[in-house]
Amino acid sequence: MTSLANTAVLPQPRRGLPSLAPLVTLARRRLQLTARTPRELVVPLLTPVMFALVIAPALKQALHTDGHYESYVALGTVGLLIPLNTMFAGLGVIVDREHGAQRELLAAPVPRALLVLGNLLVALAVTGLQLAVLIGAALARGIHFSASTAGVVWFVAAALLFAIGMYGVAETLANRVPKQEEYIARVPAIAILPWFLAGSLFPIDALPSGLDWFAKVLPLTHGLALMRYGLLDDSSGLHAIWRMHSTTTMAALSLAVVAAFATVLTAVSIRVFTRSAVR
Amino acid sequence: MNAIEVTKLGKTYPGGVQAVRGIDFEVAPGEVFGLLGPNGAGKSTTVGMLTTTIRPTSGTARLAGVDVTKHPLAARRVSSVVFQDSVVDRALTGRRNLEIHARLWSVEPRDAADTIGGLVDALGLAELVDRPVAGYSGGERRRLEIARALVSQPRLLFLDEPTVGLDPRIRYELLDVIAGLRARSDMTILLTTHYLDEAERLCDRIAIIHAGKIVALDTPAALLAALGHEILELRVSGDVPTALKALRARGVAGDDTFAVGSTLTVPLHDRGGSDALAAVEELGLATTAVGTRKPTLDDVYLRLTGGRLAEAA
Repeated sequence: MTSLANTAVLPQPRRGLPSLAPLVTLARRRLQLTARTPRELVVPLLTPVMFALVIAPALKQALHTDGHYESYVALGTVGLLIPLNTMFAGLGVIVDREHGAQRELLAAPVPRALLVLGNLLVALAVTGLQLAVLIGAALARGIHFSASTAGVVWFVAAALLFAIGMYGVAETLANRVPKQEEYIARVPAIAILPWFLAGSLFPIDALPSGLDWFAKVLPLTHGLALMRYGLLDDSSGLHAIWRMHSTTTMAALSLAVVAAFATVLTAVSIRVFTRSAVR
Repeated sequence: MNAIEVTKLGKTYPGGVQAVRGIDFEVAPGEVFGLLGPNGAGKSTTVGMLTTTIRPTSGTARLAGVDVTKHPLAARRVSSVVFQDSVVDRALTGRRNLEIHARLWSVEPRDAADTIGGLVDALGLAELVDRPVAGYSGGERRRLEIARALVSQPRLLFLDEPTVGLDPRIRYELLDVIAGLRARSDMTILLTTHYLDEAERLCDRIAIIHAGKIVALDTPAALLAALGHEILELRVSGDVPTALKALRARGVAGDDTFAVGSTLTVPLHDRGGSDALAAVEELGLATTAVGTRKPTLDDVYLRLTGGRLAEAA
């Protein structure tokens, strides 16, 4: 080891212009950490892929339904994949806080909201990748989708906004509970239970009275109805929620619900993080 | 302009715990300033307030003239921290950890590469820096964290108990590294520790903090001088207060005498050591050991913190 006096002659750093650079840096860091944690990439994908490729065809055969049901369930599994993936991404926040460099990042001269947004960008990228794998696997399995360009836009918008909202839920929870164990214990109630009620496997009309009203306020119900409208040209989910004549109006209303969910939960997650970061 | 200005700074946590009770101090540019105190004295809370991760409940703090509460981003821009615990991305390489710091502190990439190269060599990290940090030893991680804090060439460096939990060899290595930082005359260092030798070796001035208050602030030499030139130390086998009373009545012990367990430490000031020993013998005090020695910073510290160092160590 040589003397640190050498550092006295190091060049004085020039400060770059303020820009999106800190956000890119934080997102790249999170992506590198995620890439080194295969659990975050693979585990959330297992159950939805199994549902889409194994359970849906099995149900179709056992219940003597048509091919449309396979497509219906395949898109329904998107409603499982997004919450599972975003909740797994939330685990990274706890690891960062307990064993990682979160305090170093809190001492950095960047707005602390960027830490949340950097994590969000990576959660969205990973979710997008997983959705592509799921849809690709479903297509390879012979499951049929009937999507127009506009339909793909509806699908992407619904999936994106729902994923943003769910990441907000994950980030908020991660900053509210002290330990990973407590966080994991809450995942089934947040990521799986609503999935059964949101029209994933059957239309919400089939739910017992009262529960259908609960289903209608779930952002996931709106998200799934939009995704099916987009990729299957099936507006039955939207009709079950809104009971209106104009499909476009219903789709716009459901998109507004999912957008409000995304906006509110992102704001809440940033507020919870910044408040918990400063004692 | 002072590098650090702290005025009546206080922190009361929810629940009413007063961690810091209205402290005042100033640190000049280029100075190495020590905050010395036992566990729970308020050192880390003070550093937390200065680095904007803890919100003060009273008073003000300025870094290079910037109010840390009103302008936290500007305050963080001029400072770096080495935390008490290891705070690194273990899955990433050492170099990546350094680069992330450089990017977040807006160091131009070309300058960052040069600075990182220099620091990696200076801190003996060249063979490690491209490996994941998970494989580093505790001392190597600490060296990496010091290098990281220096990448942005901060005007202010906070070292929060940087050697705690390290084995003696690594600790002395790190002390050497930190002493080397003094060569950079433009950087101000605030070091917290409960190791007295560290403070004495590294710091220009020391503030001793106890129960959230600064109980002494001066140069190590001046703090030592306050105890006089010699110390009488007795291990009493009988009742300590009785022995202390007898020594006071005889004029050997003054108000600054203190006890830790059964050991009485008596600053002698103007009285000679042989006189004091003779007085102890004449008094017939029941002791298991008695002797004189030069005062140390431990004596200063124990007198001011009521012997709490023994509990902290």
